[in-house]
Amino acid sequence: MDEILLVSSLLAAGIRLAVPIAFASIGETISQRAGVINVGIEGIMLVGAFVAVWLTVISGNAWIGLFAAVVAGMVMAAIHAYFAVILKVEQIVAGIALLFFGLGISGYGFRLTIGAWGTAVPVPGFEQLNVLGMANVPVVGPILFGQHALVYVMVGLTVLIAWMLRATRLGLIIKGAGDYPNAIDAVGINVDRTRIICTVASGAFAAVGGAFLSTAHLWGFVEGMTAGRGFLAIACVVFGRWNPVLGVIIALIFGIADAAQIRLQSYFPGIPYQFFVIVPYLVAILSIAIGSRRARTPAALGVPFRKAV
Amino acid sequence: MTGASSNVRAAGAIVSLVALVVAAIAITDADPLSVMTEVVQRALFTRAGFLEALLRAIPLTIMGLGVALAFRAKVFNIGMDGQLIAGSVLAVLVAPFLPLGPIGLFLLILVGMIGGGIWGRIAGELKSRCGGNEIIATIMLNYVAIQILSWLVRGPLQEAAKIIPRTDLIDAAFRLPVLLPGTRLHAGLIIALLSVAIIAAFMSKTRFGFKLSVVGSSSSVAQYAGIRPGSVASLALLLSGAMAGLAGIVEVSGLYGRLQEGFAPGFGIAAIAVALVARLNPLLIPFSAFGFSLLYAGLGSLARKGTVPFPIINIIEAAIILIFLASSVMSTRAKEVNGHG
Repeated sequence: MDEILLVSSLLAAGIRLAVPIAFASIGETISQRAGVINVGIEGIMLVGAFVAVWLTVISGNAWIGLFAAVVAGMVMAAIHAYFAVILKVEQIVAGIALLFFGLGISGYGFRLTIGAWGTAVPVPGFEQLNVLGMANVPVVGPILFGQHALVYVMVGLTVLIAWMLRATRLGLIIKGAGDYPNAIDAVGINVDRTRIICTVASGAFAAVGGAFLSTAHLWGFVEGMTAGRGFLAIACVVFGRWNPVLGVIIALIFGIADAAQIRLQSYFPGIPYQFFVIVPYLVAILSIAIGSRRARTPAALGVPFRKAV
Repeated sequence: MTGASSNVRAAGAIVSLVALVVAAIAITDADPLSVMTEVVQRALFTRAGFLEALLRAIPLTIMGLGVALAFRAKVFNIGMDGQLIAGSVLAVLVAPFLPLGPIGLFLLILVGMIGGGIWGRIAGELKSRCGGNEIIATIMLNYVAIQILSWLVRGPLQEAAKIIPRTDLIDAAFRLPVLLPGTRLHAGLIIALLSVAIIAAFMSKTRFGFKLSVVGSSSSVAQYAGIRPGSVASLALLLSGAMAGLAGIVEVSGLYGRLQEGFAPGFGIAAIAVALVARLNPLLIPFSAFGFSLLYAGLGSLARKGTVPFPIINIIEAAIILIFLASSVMSTRAKEVNGHG
């Protein structure tokens, strides 16, 4: 029984740790499907994390913080869209710049606001829910009914977007923009506009991931607190073969690996904690080694669209 | 889209980015103009500021060369911070077994390059064998390297006094000599300038240098020419990592004499900006590196006074990269117009 409870709490915590990565990976899936690679989502997540805490503390309401984070994430992604889609520059380099932007703006903003107030600020963040009053049911309760509201939103969005990509006209347009932009253009659809919208959407998702990290999970902001989760999200997209559901499942694996290493640290105090901290990163490196071969990249990913003359 | 309208858009982006940086400074109640003049004054016209910038330009030049090597082949190495750590760690580990004297110092530097090269090569092998994205791999390896360093300086390699998480000083024989007595300016400056000459010759004169550019311009052309992009990418990451390792051991041997956490913060990031602004041209990299170092030295001293928080440096770096991208759009358009007109 003890083991089962252990596994139950591990899974519940693993889901919580997976959520930021999962949100970012859904967004990155959408933009990459439309042909735009954004390696700067780590920067967007950081800005989302900072803005969410800042506005939550000011307004006293975590939902307002979340909304502000989404707006900030969309603005960040719009910068990427402007450079990648309109100016048609090297997308990877623009994404790297976005990463530095996010690092800088979140750190700068933090030191000017919360960090400058001089005292530790309590963040009235998101509480875990007790859905149908069943969060305390042994084993399955904490996993299924005791999560944050955003966890349920994430699951719903994953299904919705998987369906949208697979079965709707909109999905067809998005996939077309990433695979056969010329064909999409020939039937009168604006490829660039599609790509811009998808890129901006990816910013919103990444910012929600960052906001979850700072207002639901850690209840505060630390510079660089995303610790590579944005890049893990990109790994999820590749390993999940551009399928949002698979991507979220991979994110879950990273989350559980993270939850496991935190627990293992206390079980093996004799082993240096750093050995455990690197586990999720090693899992990611391993997943890159295993998962990249079978990948089928969108044909026009990273290639700016230029109308044939 | 016509050349003219894209010029307008690129110019618009540049103006907005400059405005954003100015606004970011203004928000702190500081006067942006006086901040910028103070930065330039401190860095250029005070002896301490100038020397600090020169010191900072050493690793930035070496790493900028490494970035340029890889980016030429469109291999995006953003894990130089990890490769820098891997190189310096391996060198410090091996140091006690090396002979004292110039040969030992030479071997120490070589080991630093090997360590960084190995760390880069891991990502390179993942890319060439498995098709794994090098951006993700190099970033993940950064975190692994940071944790290993953290363990070493708190555990097996910690100084004998066991107070601060850092190693004991390496033997004086392994220190790079100081060039200007009374300052910290060390022989790493010569190593950096030598690297510029070697990498410039390597890129323009050797077959591999040529292969890098071919792979970078088009991987299908490369394949047609019988070049395997995978193996070129792997080698590019090895060399790029070796440069990061060189920068690391030069910092350790020339400046600190020991390993400690965070001894080269954000250098990998800055090196990318350095290389891009130099347009991946090795001969321009020392100038670009010195320019960024002036910025660092000047802003650093302002940040210590509390005028402007230091992360502004990342905002400025990002703005500079984006401005560089936008201006390159304008220059290619200009070429197209000239070509057709």
